[in-house]
Amino acid sequence: MINDLNIIVCLPIVAGIIIFLLPDAFRILKGILALAITLIFSGFAIKIFGYADALLPLVQQTGETGLLPEVTRTLEQYTVMNINSLTTIILLFVAVLAPLICLYSIYKEKNETFPSQFYSWFLITLGSSAGTVLADNLLLFLFFWGVLGYTLYKLIRQHDAQSSDAAKKTLIIVGSSDAIMIIGIGLLWNIAGTLSISELSVHTSSGPAIMAFLLLAVGSFTKAGAFPFHTWIPSYTGKAHGVSSAYMPASFDKLIGIYFLVVLCSRIFVLNQWLTLVLLILGVATIIIAVMMALIQHNYKKLLGYHAVSQVGYMVVGIALGTPLGIAAGLFHMFNNAVYKSGLFLSATTIERKTGTVDLDKTGGLASKLPLTFITALIFALSISGIPPLNGFASKWMIYQGIVDFGQQATGVASQLWIVWLALAVLGSALTLASFIKFISGIFLGRKKEIFDNIKEVSFAQWIPVILLAVICLWFGAFSTKYVVKELFMPASGSFSFFSIWDSDLLFWLVIASIIAGILIYWIGRFKNMRRAESFVGGEKAGEDKEFPVTGFYLTVKNAPGLRQIYDLAGRKWFDLYDLLKGFVLWTNKGFSYLHTGILTTYTFWVYAGFVILLLLLIL
Amino acid sequence: MAEQLFYFFIYPGMLFAGIIGIIFAWADRKVTARVQFRQGPPVLQPFYDFIKLLLVKETILPKNGSVIFFLLAPVLGLFGATAAAVIILMPALGLTSGFRGDIIVLFYLLAIPTLMFIVGALASGNPLSSVGASREIKMVLSYELSFILIIAGVILKSEMTLQLNEIMALQQSQGAFIASLSGIVMFIAALVVIQGKAGMVPFDMAEAETELAEGIFMEYSGTAYAIIKYTKYILLFILPVFIAEIFLGGLHFEGIHILWSILKVLLVLVLMILIRNTNPRLKIGQAMRFYLLWINLLVIAGLVLHYIGI
Repeated sequence: MINDLNIIVCLPIVAGIIIFLLPDAFRILKGILALAITLIFSGFAIKIFGYADALLPLVQQTGETGLLPEVTRTLEQYTVMNINSLTTIILLFVAVLAPLICLYSIYKEKNETFPSQFYSWFLITLGSSAGTVLADNLLLFLFFWGVLGYTLYKLIRQHDAQSSDAAKKTLIIVGSSDAIMIIGIGLLWNIAGTLSISELSVHTSSGPAIMAFLLLAVGSFTKAGAFPFHTWIPSYTGKAHGVSSAYMPASFDKLIGIYFLVVLCSRIFVLNQWLTLVLLILGVATIIIAVMMALIQHNYKKLLGYHAVSQVGYMVVGIALGTPLGIAAGLFHMFNNAVYKSGLFLSATTIERKTGTVDLDKTGGLASKLPLTFITALIFALSISGIPPLNGFASKWMIYQGIVDFGQQATGVASQLWIVWLALAVLGSALTLASFIKFISGIFLGRKKEIFDNIKEVSFAQWIPVILLAVICLWFGAFSTKYVVKELFMPASGSFSFFSIWDSDLLFWLVIASIIAGILIYWIGRFKNMRRAESFVGGEKAGEDKEFPVTGFYLTVKNAPGLRQIYDLAGRKWFDLYDLLKGFVLWTNKGFSYLHTGILTTYTFWVYAGFVILLLLLIL
Repeated sequence: MAEQLFYFFIYPGMLFAGIIGIIFAWADRKVTARVQFRQGPPVLQPFYDFIKLLLVKETILPKNGSVIFFLLAPVLGLFGATAAAVIILMPALGLTSGFRGDIIVLFYLLAIPTLMFIVGALASGNPLSSVGASREIKMVLSYELSFILIIAGVILKSEMTLQLNEIMALQQSQGAFIASLSGIVMFIAALVVIQGKAGMVPFDMAEAETELAEGIFMEYSGTAYAIIKYTKYILLFILPVFIAEIFLGGLHFEGIHILWSILKVLLVLVLMILIRNTNPRLKIGQAMRFYLLWINLLVIAGLVLHYIGI
């Protein structure tokens, strides 16, 4: 019998495989098919959101007469799907984001290269994400999780060396983390004797339990992109197509990775205070390190990539607190981040299409040419920088509340240090603002360059998704305290009361009122008496050569004593786990390469030496 | 809603805070003039300046900039200052029914005016404004860490509450926070931070009229500049009030307390004006080092002093 769960997990995967048969020349047809499937998916996700908590099998046995009853029975046991308030809300978020990104991806410029078979991988990712979120058995979970790692690899690969390089890096980092997770799951089986998430509740008091937690956390950190396993994200977003970046590292990987972290911290394990401390340190380290790197980027896609890392820090901090308020804040921030980050990547795609460059030095003054893109990008940028009353502020504010609340409990070292977490999280937010000023002004503000005179605003299939994302940002910000948190996040995290209060909706209406008042003031101030004139540049002739580029803004920071050396080392990839390991592997291989000299006598010698060793072993 | 609009636009928000702010601006000019052995302007001079800018002077827009955002940024900046003003002033004036917000919301709202000045400056497309904007954003990066540490110190001293009225009530029952060594240390740091936030000398390198010709405000004129001026007036009023509320035992407008409250705010204002008049402008690198190293150390010293109970 086919049930809703079958449709939501299997339909996208099966459809994805079928779409493989269509050649890439029918791109638009494939896109529309994918959009239709995604919409069906969304419909069922909304339906499942209304379900009561339950454990339902994906493969349901229909009486003893069915085909291969034994196999079905076993399958039924292993494919239990966990319907609860946490999984359904994540599924809902997946369902909101996927159609928007799919709609945006249908349009393609003539000479633009998409990853081959984009829509097949898109749909397989969609189904696997649903599978990952719903799976109750950790082995089934790991299967879908692994598929996601592979589709991630396929969604970046275009036909050039650079993107293949980034794809390889991604595959190796994500793949290794999956391998580490398998060890963790093995340990967990050893400790608890079950792999079903709904039955697990392990105290992290013994060595193996702590080890299992850390190994599984590696997987979650890698997927979400938290320090120190984050290095694949900037490489990915720097090289991949913007739509791929919006789909995977910006939104889906966050949803899935953070979902798993929540499951780890609040369902599978009961954390002790030292693990909380470790998570909090990693969280704030992620925030600060990534945003400091973002500050000095010239490539805006890479800049966004570093922010995709930095924001994860806030979620990790929120979830590490372990209180319902903290977890709700972490989840709220996760969704907000997915919304504005995918919006930003889609805007970046538009900019790249229109200008043909990803360098902030070469863009500028596009606000008047791309007004819709500008306004939406501005909303996303203000949102990620945590400006009230937008959604990014709402969730950050909850995280700060969670930190103060956590500090009030005074239960251990981690909570004694609440000021450190609060100060670094707020500093991270100020640094985010600083680097988004660079993003916004480098692309949209400043002096308009003459080469961009012929740029036109994008077509509706591209601006509709972006505008909808911006509306979500506004809406989630405005109604955060009154509605959104209470209705959507409280069931998943457990109920809590706010530590203090602010009226987000009222502030939102006041912004609108202020803008209206502003227009009135300008009207009173004789609107018509305005004229335009060339800028005054201290008596010199204004021109494009007199620019002060935004990329020069933070040179003081970059060249500050102490920071300069760190940036220098970071530039030489000293802090990239991937490159460090690569260096180590190549170094050890050097020893082996001495043995592979290509001289026949050496090889003959090794063959005989091997024989002798084997012989000795057999005799002894 | 009508009540909220009244709170926001008239009292204690935009109109009220702005008018007091204009008087404060006059005090600033007058004291400065006296320090420099000049006569100084009459009380109404800042009003005349403001009205003339708002209604009479022509607004010149940059030819190569993004005009709409250039005009919108001051309005949003004014919104941030007004919203902060309402949250700061309501508990002091004993109003309880207005919109609520805690000290962290306030921290973010107070960042909006500066942010919008920066974005507006960048929208003008003038390279000198860009230099100013770059300096201003680096100022923000420098003082925000100190500011949040100070706020964390206040939260700590007020037994973990985030609400401004509770912080004030606690000080009224247990004595002002400044009555301890840690309180004095943090008050000094807070004074320096709001000096930077208000963009007053020695931290006015973003405007630097002798060097950048008003820097971030260079391209602004007429009505748009009037709005910016007004925002700065509001900030000049609410920042001292805020410091007085969180360190000097709070404000209370009843009976003899009215006099004390006014004196407290004026004390902070006069301190700010005196700092402004006795110091030369710093370079941006110097200011960053000053905040990130010395002021932060000062605040951390204050936090440590609090922990050991002084």
